[in-house]
Amino acid sequence: MAIYKFTNWFREFGWRHLVGLLFVTISLYPILYVFTNSFADFANLQNSKLIPDTFTTKHYQSLTGDPLIPYFKWLFNTYKIAGIAGFLNVLLGTFAAYAFARLKFKGRRVGLITLVLVQMFPSFLAFVAIYLLFFQIGDVAPLIGLGTHIGLIMVYLGGSIGFNSWLIKGFMDTIPTSLDEAAKVDGATDFQIFYKIVAPLSRPIIVVLFVITFIGIYSDYILAAIFLKDANLYTVALGINIVFMDDFANEWGSIAAASVIAATPIAVLFIFFQKQITGGLTAGSIKG
Amino acid sequence: MQYSTIFRYLFLGIFNGFVVYLVPLTIAFESWFLLIITTIITLLVNFTYATNRLKPLKWITPGMIFLLSFVVFPAAYSFYVSFTNWSTGHILTKQQAIERLEDLTYTKDDQRGIEFDLYVLQDQNLEYYFLADLDNENLLFGKAVEENEFNEINFANHEPSFKNPNGEILIPDNLYLLSGKEQIANSSQLQELSLLVDKNTRIQLYNISVFGASSGRLLSAQQKYSYSAETDTLYDNVNDLACTLGNRGNFICNGQTIDPGWRINVGTENYQRIVDDERFRGPLRIVTLWTFQFAFFAVFLTFFVGLLLSVSLNKDNLKFQKIYRSIYILPYAIPGFISILVFKGLFNPDFGLVNDWFSPLYELLNIEPINWFRTKESSRAAVLLVNTWLGFPYMFLITTGALQSIPKELLEAAKVDGATSRQSFWKITFPLLLVAISPLLIGAFAYNFNNFTLIFLLTSGGPPIVGADVAVGYTDILISFTYDLAIAGGRGYQFGLAASVTTIIFLIVLLISAISFRYSKRLERVYGNL
Repeated sequence: MAIYKFTNWFREFGWRHLVGLLFVTISLYPILYVFTNSFADFANLQNSKLIPDTFTTKHYQSLTGDPLIPYFKWLFNTYKIAGIAGFLNVLLGTFAAYAFARLKFKGRRVGLITLVLVQMFPSFLAFVAIYLLFFQIGDVAPLIGLGTHIGLIMVYLGGSIGFNSWLIKGFMDTIPTSLDEAAKVDGATDFQIFYKIVAPLSRPIIVVLFVITFIGIYSDYILAAIFLKDANLYTVALGINIVFMDDFANEWGSIAAASVIAATPIAVLFIFFQKQITGGLTAGSIKG
Repeated sequence: MQYSTIFRYLFLGIFNGFVVYLVPLTIAFESWFLLIITTIITLLVNFTYATNRLKPLKWITPGMIFLLSFVVFPAAYSFYVSFTNWSTGHILTKQQAIERLEDLTYTKDDQRGIEFDLYVLQDQNLEYYFLADLDNENLLFGKAVEENEFNEINFANHEPSFKNPNGEILIPDNLYLLSGKEQIANSSQLQELSLLVDKNTRIQLYNISVFGASSGRLLSAQQKYSYSAETDTLYDNVNDLACTLGNRGNFICNGQTIDPGWRINVGTENYQRIVDDERFRGPLRIVTLWTFQFAFFAVFLTFFVGLLLSVSLNKDNLKFQKIYRSIYILPYAIPGFISILVFKGLFNPDFGLVNDWFSPLYELLNIEPINWFRTKESSRAAVLLVNTWLGFPYMFLITTGALQSIPKELLEAAKVDGATSRQSFWKITFPLLLVAISPLLIGAFAYNFNNFTLIFLLTSGGPPIVGADVAVGYTDILISFTYDLAIAGGRGYQFGLAASVTTIIFLIVLLISAISFRYSKRLERVYGNL
């Protein structure tokens, strides 16, 4: 009877747990591995294992103080670039979205269709042209040319503003217009309606899009790679992959420590906003 | 004052400040195209915000500027570049190339290799002077100067008074003649000094002698090429001959192409090369095919794993569901460039963990451990395995969402009608799921089609395709191939060619998007009435 019960349980639930646990192992193994390795007291990749014999913080210490590996400078650069570009992105995106959602004007439909068309082509596809463009701009105005953070931020700004305006506009459409009409009757200007009513009510989507844009820029490689050539200006993605690559196996401990520091805040941020992020990404496509 | 007014003037102020910085520079660098663009944008912005007539534009303009400048314009510019020969040796504009050529110098033959006595002198202030005994008409004396003092004031003079009638050198009392040993002691400083003869010629200390006088040498810098704007030709001053204008954006002197050249319009040449040149076409075909295969299998594998998981875990009263879900998010939550880096370590053939796991299998089959990134097949497999790890959580999330939104009544009705659970899955659940997420699957296809980060960081495109005309490997996808051509510079920077490959990418992405629109419309029609 007990065996029968177990077989029944297995058929109903047990195999599900088996599949579930298999993928728990697959998901966690590399993450745990890099985490323990970042504290492990061994020299290189060759001697690494999941649970090291002794623990140390020397790999973390090795990330500070070496002028050839300005790791925390990379980290700072990345947060700066992603923060500024992300903020301006949703700011300008919200402005544009407001016009498309609330104002009636000629060319509104054309503008919206253009947004949808443009967002199909990620901006990095034309990276050759962006490189050549900023190569030439750099001759004229070194402040915004290749090798500068300002130039890179401007490119990131263009890259996701279409996508963000479109999604914010979609959200604003769900805010009842009766609110602004009432405000209008009371003599509110467009900007007041935007500032006092529509923008605050759109905050959920704005926050989520900021997080998505931030993480996207944080993880970008190709545009940062064509822009930044000076090791002090690298983003963390570039720095880890260019500087540590020369001696991959022997730098393993430092790579692990650098990875943990770079990944943890982003992973926490992502998990915190996970519902909204996946909700935002799949909005409108899942229907009953 | 209202916020809107503050905002408006703040924005206008920053913007116009930027323009004030940019405009003089564009004029100084004669960059007329940039000037025109800047002027148009400036007029548009100021007109929009100074008047009240274009209300919607006030909201849209800031974002639109960036969208047009850095997304739309580069796409068009890329198309333009694909019709040029912009590449190593043809980087500059014609004007820049001519300037560069006119800066080149050479030493005349009759001034080359001549040595003469050179005396090093010092005055009370320890300043150096050179006295060069070229011949009787040229006993040159003057201050020895470093490069930053090369100007006419310091030109040397012929001073016959420094020599007596017997031909011996006379040194005035206020100057001190350095001995050979003293010259050696100060040689590093002396090397930097020159005695200027005229605009193009100077004298430097060449060989220090301890016993007799040291020797000097003439260094002359004659202009190597002169350009004539009227005839649009270059004159080679070295060989005294006129150069002709080549048709590839070069001058040709004496049958030889002169570097640097400049970029010119070459029409469809880059596209012809894609079609005709076997040494380029072959690798491109491999890359294009693999790009499609990679994108397809990337979506298929992640979707398969994601669906397997969501179907397994989508069961009422199943324990630990929440824990499973929160763990499966992790691979998706970690920035890709980190995970890829870690997997690069795990796939390391000598000490990587993946081979440790597989070692029982290797022993069982009695084969050598796989050197993952060495062969075409294994590196492609590695790329797909890593991508599956990175991407299955997304598929798990969206398939779970879709499964939960399928009405329970449908499945119950099927059960009542006697359908097995397998039948109801394939006939009801799966088709409905596909309708719901097919736009996302196509989106995932498009994403992986251009998944540069994965390929570039994991394999850098390797292993290389042997015999290709360009630097390219078996795991390269179109976008990383473009990067190899244009930026990596393994075989020079081939911007024109890279831009033509970019055009192909654009066309394919356009095609994918068109299919996406149509396909999701059609599926909605088919299943929409359910």
